[in-house]
Formats: sequence, structure tokens, C-alpha cells
Amino acid sequence: MRDRPSGFTNPWLQLALSVVCVFVSELLLKRGASDTANPAQAWSWTGVTGLESPLVWLGIIFVIISFISWLYVLRYIPLTVAFPLSRVVDILVPLGCWFFLGEAISPRRWCGIALVIIGLAVTAKPVARLEERL
Amino acid sequence: MTLLSLVLILLALVTFVGGQLILKHAMESTVVHGLRQPRFVALLGCGIFLMTISFFLTLGLLQRFDLSYLYPFQGLSVIIISVMAAVMLKEKLTPQLIIGALLITAGVVLVSMS
Repeated sequence: MRDRPSGFTNPWLQLALSVVCVFVSELLLKRGASDTANPAQAWSWTGVTGLESPLVWLGIIFVIISFISWLYVLRYIPLTVAFPLSRVVDILVPLGCWFFLGEAISPRRWCGIALVIIGLAVTAKPVARLEERL
Repeated sequence: MTLLSLVLILLALVTFVGGQLILKHAMESTVVHGLRQPRFVALLGCGIFLMTISFFLTLGLLQRFDLSYLYPFQGLSVIIISVMAAVMLKEKLTPQLIIGALLITAGVVLVSMS
């Protein structure tokens, strides 16, 4: 990993920003897509019918912000490290669906969430050690 | 789940993985050559194109499935991207990173099967 800027331009902070934006966008897109769902429409599989919802457009804004942060992250952090860590969103999304959208989480799903947390810890540990040394 | 929805989920996954690898390659090239080079613009355009296809396919799928069910399919992308980044972009893939990626993938798949 090459020399990195600090403060707001710190790639780790940008990674966190990207994850939060993806999380918010997923919830907005799901709500917007559900509001406009009409499986009878010919083009509904392409997703473009979702554009009728303002929530989808707001979701797209968050997607763009997360995308720009992500490009910045890619410049500094290897994909083999950054991408697995970015999947913290896979925990945030089911938890957010449970909390904000009222979707159920089964015991098996909780086990899956626990496995993801362990996986994230295993991935982040060598990176944290490397950061301490710098 | 119908065959069509499975194909669309896989297509969304493949375009997502391809897009990520191309974008990483594009951003790597900016370190040496800067942002104003035709190669970077072409790679960035290609990556954005693939990510856009993945985005709209996912949006279409979201209209039919619960997000907490559908989204974790992308968890498979963790192990796929880690291996592909090591093979195609020559990134270092330590045993610890492989274990971490496998645990995340297993967890996400378990979440999606619930």
C-alpha cells in the first residue's frame, strides 16, 4: 500500500463513507422499487420502471457519491483488501431491512451475519497491524 | 425463483465483478500516468458501463424479491473478486485474506439462503 493522504482524503475514511452511502442507497432503492413495482409491464425486468420513484433518484445520488469514494479507495488500497472490507454492508443491509423496512431475520440469517463479522475481523486484522507499524 | 431470474442474478453478478476489476485497473493506471490519458478514460467508461448494467438488473430484481434475500447473492462476489484480483491484477492474496473472504462469502450465502 502506497503513501496515503490523511484527514478527509484518508482512503480508509473514504471506504467507510462509501459503505454508508451504499447502505443508504440500497434501502432507498428497495423502497422506491417496491413503490413502483408492476411485474405486468414489459420492461419491468430491466429496472427502468423504478425511475418513476423519487426515492430511486435519491438512491442514485447516494450510489454516485459512494462510487466516487470507491474510485478513490481503489487508487490506494488493494482490491483483495478493500472489497472484502466493503462487504460490511452485507451486515448493515439485512439489519437495516429488519430495523427500517420491517423484514424478518431468521436464526440462520443471524448465524450468517455472525460469520460475516468474523470474516471481516480476519481480513481487517493484518491490515490494522500494518497500519500500526506505519 | 425462475430460470430467468437466476440468469439475471448471475448476469448482475458477472457485470459487477467485471466492472470492479476494470475500475481497479483504471485507478491503478492513474498513479503513474495521471487522470488525463485516453487509456484511463476508456477503462473508466468500460467499468461504468458494466456497473450501470449491473445496477439496472439489480433494480429490476429488487422489484420482485426482498432486498435482504436478493442482495447477499452479491456476497459471492467477495471470493470471486479476491481471486480474480490476485490472478488478473497480480495483487497479493495472503492465506488470511483468503480465509476472511471465504468466511464473508459463507456468511453472506447463509444469509441469502435463510
